[in-house]
Amino acid sequence: MHIKEFITTIPVKKVTLRDIVSFEKTPINLLIAVMTLLFLVLFAVGITTYILHGHHAYNVTKEHPWGLLIAVYIFFVVSSTGLCIVGSLGDVFGFKDYMMISKRAIFGSIITIVSGFAVIAFEIGHPITMVIYNILTPGFTSAIWWMGTLYGLYMTFMIIEFVFLLKHNMKMAKIFGLTGLLVGLAAHSNLGGVFGFLNARTISNGVFYPMYFILTAFITGIFLSFIMYGFKYRLKFDEKATLLLTNLAKIQGLLIAILMFFVTWKMLSDVYGGMPNRAEVARHIFSSATFWAEVFFAMVIPLFIILKSAGKNIVGMFWGSLIGMVGIFFMRYNLVHDTQLKPLQMLKTSEYQLVPTWIEYFPSVTEVMISLGGLGLCLFLYYMGTKLFNLDE
Amino acid sequence: MARYGMALDYKNCINCKACETACKEENGVLLGADNHRIWVGMKEIEGEYPNLSIASNTFYPSQCQHCDEAPCQEVCPTNATYYDKDGQVRIDADKCILCSYCINACPYDARYVDDRTNTVDKCTFCTDTRLARGETTTACQNTCPTKVRIFGDLDDPNSEISQVLQNREHFTLKSNLGTKPKLFYLI
Ligand code: SF4
Ligand code: SF4
Repeated sequence: MHIKEFITTIPVKKVTLRDIVSFEKTPINLLIAVMTLLFLVLFAVGITTYILHGHHAYNVTKEHPWGLLIAVYIFFVVSSTGLCIVGSLGDVFGFKDYMMISKRAIFGSIITIVSGFAVIAFEIGHPITMVIYNILTPGFTSAIWWMGTLYGLYMTFMIIEFVFLLKHNMKMAKIFGLTGLLVGLAAHSNLGGVFGFLNARTISNGVFYPMYFILTAFITGIFLSFIMYGFKYRLKFDEKATLLLTNLAKIQGLLIAILMFFVTWKMLSDVYGGMPNRAEVARHIFSSATFWAEVFFAMVIPLFIILKSAGKNIVGMFWGSLIGMVGIFFMRYNLVHDTQLKPLQMLKTSEYQLVPTWIEYFPSVTEVMISLGGLGLCLFLYYMGTKLFNLDE
Repeated sequence: MARYGMALDYKNCINCKACETACKEENGVLLGADNHRIWVGMKEIEGEYPNLSIASNTFYPSQCQHCDEAPCQEVCPTNATYYDKDGQVRIDADKCILCSYCINACPYDARYVDDRTNTVDKCTFCTDTRLARGETTTACQNTCPTKVRIFGDLDDPNSEISQVLQNREHFTLKSNLGTKPKLFYLI
C-alpha cells in the first residue's frame, strides 16, 4: 500500500468549524474553553516577548541557567511517558481490562510530548541549529543528545501506533507500541540522566533520577487517566470504566508507596551521608514549601484517598488526581530548581556581589505565560482529538 | 602541538584587575558582571576591627580551568564544546544551541552567555587572537604587573610552567571531581 493511500484510510471524523465550537455549554465546559483560549493567547504573547528579548525575558541567570520552562517540559514528557505506559498495558501487554484506555492514553502521550516540545523550543536558544547539529555532530556522551533523539523517535513510534490503533490493526499497533514504549523508557531515563550526570551538583548526581523518572511517569500516567476518564464520563462511570479505574487506583497505591519509600531514602542518605553540597541542600529542601507541596499533593493525599476506600472511591480519585498533578508539577519544578540551589562558589566569595547564599529564582511573567501556553496547547489538542478521532474502542 | 596550561602564583595577586580588563579588551568581551571570562575572587579580611588579620585577605584569580576531562564537553549534545588541537576547551558558536547544559555541568562556574551571539562563551586562552598569530602568551598573563600568571606548554619539560610545577607545590580546584584542570595554584 502506498503511503498516500495508507494515510487516506486513517479513520478521521469530518469536522466543520461549527462542530468544533459546538459543545455542551455547561459552566465547567465553558470555563475550560475560556481558560484554554486565554492560555493560548498568553502563549502567543509569551513567545513574542521571548522573540523580542531572548533569554532576558526569562529570570534565568548564569547561576540558575535552567528555569520554569525546563520544569514544564519535563512535566509534559513525564506525562507522555506515563500515558504511554498506561496505554501499553492493554495493547502491548494484552491485559484485557486495560484495552479500552489504550487509544485515549496513546493519543494523550502524543499531545503531551508535542506540548513539551512546544515549550522547550522557546527555552533552547537555537532549536533549528539543534536539529541540524544533533545529526551532523552528535555528542554521544551527552544525556541531552540521547534524551532528545530518543524522544523524537518515540514520538514517531507513538504516532504510528496510534494510527494502527485507529485502523484496528492490533498486530502492528502492538509492534510499534512495544518499540515506542522501550524507546520512550530509554528516553525518559536519559532525561533523569541529564541530572544524574551532573558531578558538579551532588544533590542530583547519581543513578537515582533515571529510575525515579520512570516510576513517577507511571504515577503521572495513572493520574492523567483518571482525569481524562473523569471528564469523559462526567464522574458517572459505567461498569467497565469503574473496573478499569479501580484497578488503576490499586496499582497507583502501590506505586505511590514505592515512591515514598524512594524519596525517604534519598532524603535520608542525602542528609545523613553528610556529603558537602548535598546534605545542606537536602536540609534546605526540607524547609521549602514547594517540597511539601510535592509530598502532600502528589503522594500523601492521593494515597490517603486510595487506602481509605481500597481503591474503590474513583470519584475521589478523580479529585485526588487533579491534586496529584499539581503535586507532580511541583515535583518537576523542585527537581530543576533544587539542582541549582547551591552556588558553585568559585573563589569569588565576595566578588560580583555573589554572596554564598542559596540561589534564588522565581519565574518571570514571560516564562509563566509560555508555560500556561503549553497547558493551553495540550487542552486544545486533546479537545480536537476527541472531535477528530474515535478515542474509544 | 602543545598542551597549554596556566600556573597561578595567586599569593602575589594584588586585585588590580588588569587581567580582567586586558581579557575584555583582547577578546571583545561585553562589559557587565555576567559577561566575564576571568575574575578575581576575594577572601575577605578575617577578624573584627581593630584585630584584623591582613594576611587572611587573599585574592584568587580564576577562569575556565581547561579541564582535561571536561564535564562541559561531555554533556554538550552537539559537540559545540570541543578540545582543540592544543587541548584547550573551546566552543563553536555555530553549533551551540544554548541548552545551557554546560553551564550547569561546569563545576567552576566558568561559562556565561554572550549576548551578541546568544551562545555560551568562556576563556579560550586567547586562542583566536594571540595563539592564532603564533604568539605563546595570553592577554591576562602579559598584563599582570606582579607576574601571577605563568602560561605555557605542559608537555614541554623546559617550559617555564613545567619548571615551576616541578619545583613548587601546587593544587588544582575541586580535584575530587576528576576533571583534571589545567590551572594550577602555586603554594
Ligand atoms: S572549567 Fe568548566 S568550562 Fe572550563 S573546561 Fe572545565 S568544565 Fe569546561
Ligand atoms: S549551551 Fe552550547 S556549548 Fe553548552 S552544552 Fe549546550 S550546545 Fe554545548
